[in-house]
Amino acid sequence: MDAEVRQNLRQMIWLLIGLTLLVLVIAIGLSGGGLATTVSIFRTRFLGIFIEAVPFLLLGAMVSGLIDAFVRREDLIRFIPRNRYLATTVGAFLGLAFPVCECGVVPVARRLYGKGLPVSVGIAFLLAAPVMNPIVFASTLAAFGFGSVLILRFALTAVIAIGIGFLFATFMRPTQVLRASALAPVSGGSDEVLVAPLVRVSSDRQSLLKGLGAAVGSATEDFFDMVRYLIIGCILAAALQTVISQEVLIRLGEGPVISVIVMQMLAFILSVCSTVDSFLALAFVGAFSTGSIVSFLTFGPMIDIKSTLMYLGVFQRRAVLILLAMPLIMTLAAGVIINLLGVQ
Amino acid sequence: MHDQDHHHPAPSALEWAKSVLLAGLGGYFLVTLLTGNVTNYINYRFTWLSVMAAGLFTLFAGYSLYTLIEQRRAAHNHDHSHHGHDHAHDHHHTMNWLVLFIAMIPLALGLLLPSKPLGAEAINGNVSLNAVSAAGGPRSLPVDPFDWTVLDWLTAFNHEASPAAFNGREARVIGFVYEEPGFPVDHFMVVRFTVSCCVADASAIGLPVAWGANERLPENTWVEISGTFQAGEFRGTVVPILRADQIAPIDQPAHPYLYP
Repeated sequence: MDAEVRQNLRQMIWLLIGLTLLVLVIAIGLSGGGLATTVSIFRTRFLGIFIEAVPFLLLGAMVSGLIDAFVRREDLIRFIPRNRYLATTVGAFLGLAFPVCECGVVPVARRLYGKGLPVSVGIAFLLAAPVMNPIVFASTLAAFGFGSVLILRFALTAVIAIGIGFLFATFMRPTQVLRASALAPVSGGSDEVLVAPLVRVSSDRQSLLKGLGAAVGSATEDFFDMVRYLIIGCILAAALQTVISQEVLIRLGEGPVISVIVMQMLAFILSVCSTVDSFLALAFVGAFSTGSIVSFLTFGPMIDIKSTLMYLGVFQRRAVLILLAMPLIMTLAAGVIINLLGVQ
Repeated sequence: MHDQDHHHPAPSALEWAKSVLLAGLGGYFLVTLLTGNVTNYINYRFTWLSVMAAGLFTLFAGYSLYTLIEQRRAAHNHDHSHHGHDHAHDHHHTMNWLVLFIAMIPLALGLLLPSKPLGAEAINGNVSLNAVSAAGGPRSLPVDPFDWTVLDWLTAFNHEASPAAFNGREARVIGFVYEEPGFPVDHFMVVRFTVSCCVADASAIGLPVAWGANERLPENTWVEISGTFQAGEFRGTVVPILRADQIAPIDQPAHPYLYP
């Protein structure tokens, strides 16, 4: 009881601090003058990213809700091979069946974990799905045409996602990876292969209307679970954009190695949705190397400010660290190699 | 968890607040669409996404209000029948007032401050003279050169080696006034932001303008400029400069950004 009271008190204090800051920001925004201009620019950028991203978050939550309501664990077993390496490889291409972008992919993955998806399959899915889906294919095709950038983006994403998935399949146990809240259904068994769900008989398929109701209900819960990370991510991205000049970054971005690092940083900071980041990358095509563009388009959908914050809601800190470091190193290496080979 | 099969307590204030917030967000998207302010934030091409968001928010709000009303009725009647809304979730939803507050931020910033597109103050570094190209191939330019935007002219310049090739070409463009630091008094730039997706990728492009008058135009004013191009020096290189014959102040256009 005492701990609960203390927690409520802490919440209340944060709420008051947040409320004060918000009132302050709005007051400055209404006051006129130099600071008001900054607030106005920040506000426009913040809402821009939010308005662009939130439909995908809703769509992702809705898809995950529908999966929750209509897909039984047994259904998943049929699609995912028993062999965990084969299963992880399939996981990297699951996005083709669940077309969601990076905002929506985390709730879907978490929901699939709830259905008993093996950890490594979910990892491969999380890393690959933001790129590996029909919508992103269409937008990348529209932006770059059928050429090296498109092919490298998809090939590299598959290789990295499967590679990191194998790493998790070989060396990590679910208890080391998932947070307690996401772990419950995967618990039990030293092997992460789906055994328990076969034994546990799930409820029968629900009637359509009831199922849709349940889907909307759990989509709403998922939305509230995830929207906080999106909003904090939007605040950070908009604030950094308002403070750091893009030109400064571009001036830094010359040379085969540094340009890749700069584009990775940009991808991380901007947190732009994977379905539209191709068009953003186009703005850099003239000034930046092909390798840096490809690593921007590969690294960004896997890792950025908002997905990092979302990962923290599902995975343990150590797993998040691996999920950050591995794609960073692998896309960096790939980008530099592409530059040194002189791919255009 | 939401195990309310036996007690049927009345829904908490937090649950009601969540529903109201969802309705508010749906309302905000609807207002942003109806006022046309949505083009202050995203590329017009993606408007349908906002329409979808408004729809889904309304659906979520409607359904959660419906379940709350059902729940309250069940609490009043002490009715033990199931009402079809069974949150048999496998994980905890850590929902509290703090989360609700965070979710409220977009609504507060959206509704309590006036909606404004990015303007001259948002220019971060130099205004670019390079056309941002989209969709791989060269942009197709409008047939009538008087319909050409700042972006169309820059696209044409980028495809032509000699800036003098445009000498004497007549143009009519709109944009807002931007004073580049170190400009002579009768020079300014007519600037537009291009937005591929949303304002996160906005970049400022512009044409240098020379006009005879010996006064400065107020920055950020939207103007329509008629004139002819003449190659001249700008930032140390020779580029086509628009010699203005006529500059008319205009209202901010419905679509403040250009879409490459």
